[in-house]
Amino acid sequence: MKLITPFLLRYIIAATFLTVLFRFFLSYFLKVDDSLAVLLVAAGYGLSMFFSGFYFGKKDGTYLPIYDIGFRFHLATFVVHNVVSALWLLSGNASAKESINQLLVSAGIWGVFLLIHFIVYLRLRKHSIDDLDKSDLFE
Amino acid sequence: MKQKDKLQELLHAWEETYKKGQLTFWIFLSLQQESRYVDEIKQFVEEQSAQTMTCEEQSLYRVLRKFEHVGVLSFENRKGNKGPERKYYFLTPLGKELFQQFVKRNIQLFYNPHIKNLINIPSS
Repeated sequence: MKLITPFLLRYIIAATFLTVLFRFFLSYFLKVDDSLAVLLVAAGYGLSMFFSGFYFGKKDGTYLPIYDIGFRFHLATFVVHNVVSALWLLSGNASAKESINQLLVSAGIWGVFLLIHFIVYLRLRKHSIDDLDKSDLFE
Repeated sequence: MKQKDKLQELLHAWEETYKKGQLTFWIFLSLQQESRYVDEIKQFVEEQSAQTMTCEEQSLYRVLRKFEHVGVLSFENRKGNKGPERKYYFLTPLGKELFQQFVKRNIQLFYNPHIKNLINIPSS
């Protein structure tokens, strides 16, 4: 079963690029103590991730309508954000105000929501065959 | 609304609903005996259904991807007579079995003499 589709891969590439940019500018503006810029960078990152997810998700649904209520994209976002962030922090490029503990706490909270999303996805899988919606399969 | 116009409108509405799901049947039928590439499937569907079924190439690709994903179809890349390699689609054993069961349960019914009689189509 192919759940890693071409558009999900493209989203992963875009999300990786956006997260690297986010970590770079976040660390920079934290170092120079520019709170407004930090806020703008975080908001810009959130919005750009949302819109790239929306764009690639829509394309993905047209390519192959996998019935996962967005779980694959959510999981990909979680993995990309936390792996890139962890690598950034461990590489020593982060500001003194950032720490691996903060990342672990936020990943833990996010992980709870991801788990809830996963449970809902598993429940909805009953309505699908190989992750394609039964009612849409032969339409 | 004139009776004739109403009949046409009703017919179109019924056909629109009826045709939903029919594309699957025609695709399977086109691949029943040989593998075909998208243009050939499209041509088969339109010709054999006497143009009552039409399909856009893009929506056909989408349907084929779904069927490939669930394992009822597969494809192999082959070089056509002219031009680049093409994806030749064929029914997998699961797809063949599915089609046979579908025909047995839903199409063969119409060959029942009683049903044929009820439909009352003049034989050609």
